[in-house]
Amino acid sequence: MKKSFQNKNNKITRKHFIILIVCIVTGFIIGYSYNLTKDEEKVNNSYLNQEESYREDLIEQQERNKELTEELNNLQVRIREFEKSFAENKDEYEHLLDEAEKLRLIVGEIPAQGEGVRVTLKDGEYDPNSTNPNEYIVHESHVLSVINELKISGAEAISINGQRLKSNSYIRCNGPVITIDGKQYPAPFVIEAVGDSQSLVASMKIVGGIFDQLLNDRIVVTIEESDLIQMPSVNDES
Amino acid sequence: MWLLPLLGLLLGLAFGLLTDIQIPAVYEHYLSIAVLAALDTIFGGIRANLQQVYDDKVFISGFFFNIALAAALAFLGVHLGVDLYLAAIFAFGVRLFQNIAVIRRILITKWEERHIKKDENTV
Repeated sequence: MKKSFQNKNNKITRKHFIILIVCIVTGFIIGYSYNLTKDEEKVNNSYLNQEESYREDLIEQQERNKELTEELNNLQVRIREFEKSFAENKDEYEHLLDEAEKLRLIVGEIPAQGEGVRVTLKDGEYDPNSTNPNEYIVHESHVLSVINELKISGAEAISINGQRLKSNSYIRCNGPVITIDGKQYPAPFVIEAVGDSQSLVASMKIVGGIFDQLLNDRIVVTIEESDLIQMPSVNDES
Repeated sequence: MWLLPLLGLLLGLAFGLLTDIQIPAVYEHYLSIAVLAALDTIFGGIRANLQQVYDDKVFISGFFFNIALAAALAFLGVHLGVDLYLAAIFAFGVRLFQNIAVIRRILITKWEERHIKKDENTV
């Protein structure tokens, strides 16, 4: 083609050469600016994408936060429930503990101490008029009735001469002494009971009660209230 | 005759697209103005050619001078803080439209003339 132009006159060739150069320059400028704009768009797009991804991340994190907060709330509610039930259990447990303590006290597995009464039974004075000394000495029946009365009036722990009474304790008469759980004790018998001293004493001294009966049997009885009565556990050998 | 400029344009486009030089963002205005100036010159050339007043010197000087002037205006605008390049864009834009309008009119006239001639020939 160019040859054909060249075959024409020189002016046309030059003219077309100039046009060619101008067109090349124009094309270059246009292409270059297009390229540049594309790059910029790419950069902008990458920025936008980054922003978008950050935003998505943020939203994701916020949603996660929300979920976790909900979970936290749920867990807190559950913890509260647990605590509540635990508190109830604790109350129950304390209740059980109290009961166990009480039962141990009654059974005698632990040392008892507290206010209570001390009942001392002594043989009566030698009476020359009486032929039968049985009439004025302390029998095991007296001890038993005292113990029974103490138990009725709410004694928590009872000991005789320092020997703690168990639930399966036995008392039997053995001549001038009485045997308690295989151990012999002579008179006087000191019966100690832990419990509400006032009610204990009141029940002991009720009219026609054990106190009167004992006096009737000519036994020297002393009943004293005590603020602190201590007695060992059944396991302690006295 | 139309093929050569087209070829040149494509060549230039290819060059431009393949060029991977980054220029600072400050000079982007220069580029936009250069594009407008180049287009204006090309369409002016086409118009001149169609009006048979085409001159090599006017064309080539107009091309480079317009680009230089636009660049100078943009430069001044950047340094004065006034968007002077808008003036160049405006001027070039108006001229571009005017040139294209003239080209269109000439082409239509030519086409009509040819049509009439054809009609005359057929008749």
